[in-house]
Amino acid sequence: MSAETVDSGAGPAPRKGVSILFGLTLLGLLLFLWLLLGLATNSFWTPNNISNLLRQGAMTAILAVGQTFVIITAGIDLSVGAVVGFTSVIVAWLLAAGVPLWIAIILTLAFGVLIGAFHAFGIVRMGLPPFIITLATLTSLRGIGLLITNGSTISITNEAFTNFSRADFLGVPSLFWMVIVVAIPAYVFLHLSRFGRYLFAVGSNSEAARLSGVNVHRTIYLAYILSSTCAAFVGLLLASRIGIGNATQAEGWELQAIASSVIGGTSLFGAVGSVHGPLLGAFILATINNGANLLNVNSFWQRIITGVLIIVIVYFDQLRRRGAR
Amino acid sequence: MPGLDEVSDIKSDGLKTAARHPVPKGEPILEMRALQKKYGAVEALKPASITFLSGEIHAIVGENGAGKSTLIKLLTGVIRRTSGEVYWCGKPVQLDNPHEAIARGINAVHQEVVLCPHLSVAANMFLGDEMKSAGLMRKRAMTEAAQSVLDDLGFNLPAAATLGSLTIGQQQLVATARAAMRGTQFLIFDEPTAYLTRQESAQLFRLIRRLQGEGVTIVYISHRMEEVFELADRVSVLRDGTHVGTRRIGETNDAELITLMINRTIEQIYHKEHFPAGEVIVETRGLSGPGFEDVSLTVRAGEIVGLYGLIGAGRSEFALGLYGRHASTAGEVYWQGRKVKIANERTAMDLGIALAPESRRDQGLCLNLPIGLNINLPVFSRLTRGLTINRQKEIENADRQIRDLKIKTPSRRVLASAMSGGNQQKIVIGKWLSHGAKLFIFDEPTVGVDVGTKAEIYRLFARLLENGAGIILISSYLPEVYELSDRLHVFRRGRLVASHDYRAASHEEVLTQAIGV
Repeated sequence: MSAETVDSGAGPAPRKGVSILFGLTLLGLLLFLWLLLGLATNSFWTPNNISNLLRQGAMTAILAVGQTFVIITAGIDLSVGAVVGFTSVIVAWLLAAGVPLWIAIILTLAFGVLIGAFHAFGIVRMGLPPFIITLATLTSLRGIGLLITNGSTISITNEAFTNFSRADFLGVPSLFWMVIVVAIPAYVFLHLSRFGRYLFAVGSNSEAARLSGVNVHRTIYLAYILSSTCAAFVGLLLASRIGIGNATQAEGWELQAIASSVIGGTSLFGAVGSVHGPLLGAFILATINNGANLLNVNSFWQRIITGVLIIVIVYFDQLRRRGAR
Repeated sequence: MPGLDEVSDIKSDGLKTAARHPVPKGEPILEMRALQKKYGAVEALKPASITFLSGEIHAIVGENGAGKSTLIKLLTGVIRRTSGEVYWCGKPVQLDNPHEAIARGINAVHQEVVLCPHLSVAANMFLGDEMKSAGLMRKRAMTEAAQSVLDDLGFNLPAAATLGSLTIGQQQLVATARAAMRGTQFLIFDEPTAYLTRQESAQLFRLIRRLQGEGVTIVYISHRMEEVFELADRVSVLRDGTHVGTRRIGETNDAELITLMINRTIEQIYHKEHFPAGEVIVETRGLSGPGFEDVSLTVRAGEIVGLYGLIGAGRSEFALGLYGRHASTAGEVYWQGRKVKIANERTAMDLGIALAPESRRDQGLCLNLPIGLNINLPVFSRLTRGLTINRQKEIENADRQIRDLKIKTPSRRVLASAMSGGNQQKIVIGKWLSHGAKLFIFDEPTVGVDVGTKAEIYRLFARLLENGAGIILISSYLPEVYELSDRLHVFRRGRLVASHDYRAASHEEVLTQAIGV
């Protein structure tokens, strides 16, 4: 090979092309599932069910986007489910105490920022592995939430707040609009801004990033704060949807978020991931659950199917990566 | 002597080589016939026919991307050939997986050690082939046996120590000892001395000769000509995926091999241009930090300041300290006459210091990210307008460095891990050329880099000096720092122990000062 080949397309597959192709495969899988369910059931392609599906997938999708930022830095955020439950309690409690709605929302999101900053502090300053620090907050946040509510739930009487999750805008559920509200800035951040590049660099080799002048600590703070803030945002949406604050809600959602992210092509070893991948991953999971309900499949089976799907999709992704060498 | 029985024990079931002797010495043991490998349209190895004779040391030399690693991978069954045949002991063989290669007695020792750093030396040597009694491991017996093998080979290494606590060089020796214990008949060394000190290299050479004496065929891949002439019986040259010739070592010389390798004569690999020394760029006064103590030196515009010493002598630590990676504990730094405090890497970069660190893999590159991202990493803030990166500028900058430095890649989107050592080093350099600096620190810039790229890097040094920059060149390879440095400082145990002007001291003198006898 000589220097003249610089502009030819030969050689190892360019990364961007592959990532688009993988995105299209996932999109194809999603459409295939929708087609299949449309043929197998009468009720799938009803406006009601589609709205329902979009609502179901929306919250996991937002969590998965935040989670993806963390996974790209080669970390993990196990606390997101607990943060959702905890922040649902916070917003309910603030509203019950008579705090105006918009202040309650801002304060709740601020809690998300604080929790994320605490995670990053533990990782950067105390040298704790991400798995450990977020596992610790997973259990303690549920505990704090239960202490605040004394083990019960707090009802939300603010109707403007609770109506939001049931509302539609242009015929599309407002919860799904929230996915777009999160996804567009997330895309700009991850794929178009330098901070996105820094996330990948830190996940690939933090020492090399550091010696190239990247502020590694700040990048890690950014990733965990974004993840927890996404989770706090989902906490608001959940509280709006169920009309209560309850610290035990969203049990296991962290695993849903990680699964969506991984199905969407994110590598748990870091430095590989996108924004569109986890979104598709979340809606694939939501479709499977929705379809299983429509087909009257035992809900225990849904869990098994989800597990098998994770193995199959990630296995094919691995094959593709190896094939690209 | 305890352990002696154990050694003979190992020899009888470990060193199976002597026992088997499939082919008499001097007869072909492995023959490649028109062996070819294509990746898509790219021909990584054009049909090559090389015959390896039983019991010889056969060196393979070639530039970056000449096809050396492809050849190793084909022979060790890591990749499958596109066409051609391989004859082992006179019979055609498939070699389409690593197990087959190992079962036939073909093994490789890689440049970067692939063992378990958390296990002991003995456990690593016996990994996958542990001594057992009644299903339990005989840990003490293994440690003793491993120790006697190491002692026997003349390595001064503790078998009970954790592998990770050894230097990379020592780990390399363990890897070799491990391969030697396992009935290997055909052992490939892929640039084994890249990270070794002189003494470690000498030990390794003794081991290689000893293996040869036991009938093992050795394939030795290296960039260092003097090693090839010291060790090999025959040498094969690859260029651009083509086998361009095989010579008996007595019938060739440095110049001929280099001409074969790069298809042009290099009258002077160590391209040295002298520039008038300009103003002082940086001066350290008694600088101390983790791993180095009381270092005072100056670098002027237009000069190369060489830092020589054994691995661990504190040269790299000093460089990292000056670059703000570690906080200094004492002393002062003056930057262009002004006292400065370099608290972190960003401060150093903003002053105008660039660092191409010692290890490309651990410190230099984000290997699983594209070349373009690596090149642009220090300058993204400059490429950003408003919230987002200016795509056009990002692409232009990456492509310019790839073009200027002649990085051999089809695209800036290819992952850095797919590049050879020399091209990876060029990516690291490209990163700093796009950022720009007054003081360039190159730490072991030519480790694992072929002669042609080396010469390119040295020419680049001259270009930087011409533009008014100063260079700190760190190397464990004496001829390199010796020939290129306007001023040479010798480090030993974290201290600067001697300084010489250009070629003012002899090699022996410098070496003695570095070792400290």
